[in-house]
Amino acid sequence: MYRVLDEVSLLRASLNGEVEAWGEMVCRYKQAVFGLCLGFLRNRADAEDITHDAFIRAYENLRRYRLERKFSTWLFTIAANLCRNRLRYRRYHPVFEPPDAAEGGVDPAAAVAREDRQLRVKKALDRLPPGYRMPLVLRYYNDLSYRDIAETLSLPEGTIKTRIHRGKLILKEEMERDGVIHHERG
Amino acid sequence: MNVDRLEQEIHDLLHAETASQTFLLEGLEGRISTQLAGRLPRFGPFGFLRRLLAPTHGARVAQFAVVGATAVLFFVGGAFLADRLPFSQGTSPAGSAPLVSAARSSGENQVLFVMPAPNAKSVAVLGTFNNWEPTPLTENKDGIWTASLTLPPGRYEYAFVVDGRWWGQDPLADEYVHSFGEYSSVRYVGKAGDGV
Repeated sequence: MYRVLDEVSLLRASLNGEVEAWGEMVCRYKQAVFGLCLGFLRNRADAEDITHDAFIRAYENLRRYRLERKFSTWLFTIAANLCRNRLRYRRYHPVFEPPDAAEGGVDPAAAVAREDRQLRVKKALDRLPPGYRMPLVLRYYNDLSYRDIAETLSLPEGTIKTRIHRGKLILKEEMERDGVIHHERG
Repeated sequence: MNVDRLEQEIHDLLHAETASQTFLLEGLEGRISTQLAGRLPRFGPFGFLRRLLAPTHGARVAQFAVVGATAVLFFVGGAFLADRLPFSQGTSPAGSAPLVSAARSSGENQVLFVMPAPNAKSVAVLGTFNNWEPTPLTENKDGIWTASLTLPPGRYEYAFVVDGRWWGQDPLADEYVHSFGEYSSVRYVGKAGDGV
């Protein structure tokens, strides 16, 4: 029944305590939220945790949500704030993740076969400071507008544009440097 | 490097990474629904009351009620007994040394320090009245160590040293102070509040 309902009806039903309606909202947004978390955190276990926590936190604060605001942006803001907290925590409690797991648990043959360029993008993105990585993820994974990114990260729109531009430059430099190292080794 | 190509690569990478992990999201909605269904309704006019009286919270409310009732009984009972017990007058009962009292006036400025320590080899008291130099206590047959000192009126900080170990919290001291990582007891003799 919930699958055919529109978003506002689902939110109303969720507010009335119908947790299945909220379950449908989770179903619709889980991939977007998980992708955001994975892009921000670069760690799948943390991303899984934060995705779960974000939906619980959103449900708990559903009464504060205003319909005039885009639901996705509101939800992404909650997830982004949780990610920031986790990144802050990880600064003092780093975890080691085996390379295979970081690459998504794909079999080694597939990892080897992966394009060198894509690996270089990944490494550069991993090294990019979160302040630059977050806007890039929201832009190129979640396809948000500059305005929505600014709202999600609570930053001015001009800052977002600058960070995305600067982030891409840093990525490009990192990839080129990495490419040079590969060339020299080869 | 072409910027459009870089943007496309970032886009492809992020989507590929997420797509390779979607198995982690299987059943997430069910897990969250179950977790939320296990809770009591957060919304509605009586939500707060229902949560407060829920079995899990009910136990907590009952705990608070028991602790609160005990505290009230303690204070009421204490007030009732305060005027009826002999040693509440500020002096030791004649002919019997209190078991745990440390410093009690036995005479106008005679202060008795008492420390029950049956197995101790040495007990001393030190404080502002003796420039923190140990004054030894003597042991009676019951293992109670005592020393009687004549002190002018004032406020005294003190502590016991039992077999070389600091014992700063006398149970019946007027108050405690905490300094340099140790507790010390405080006793007022004669006119309260006079410094030494």
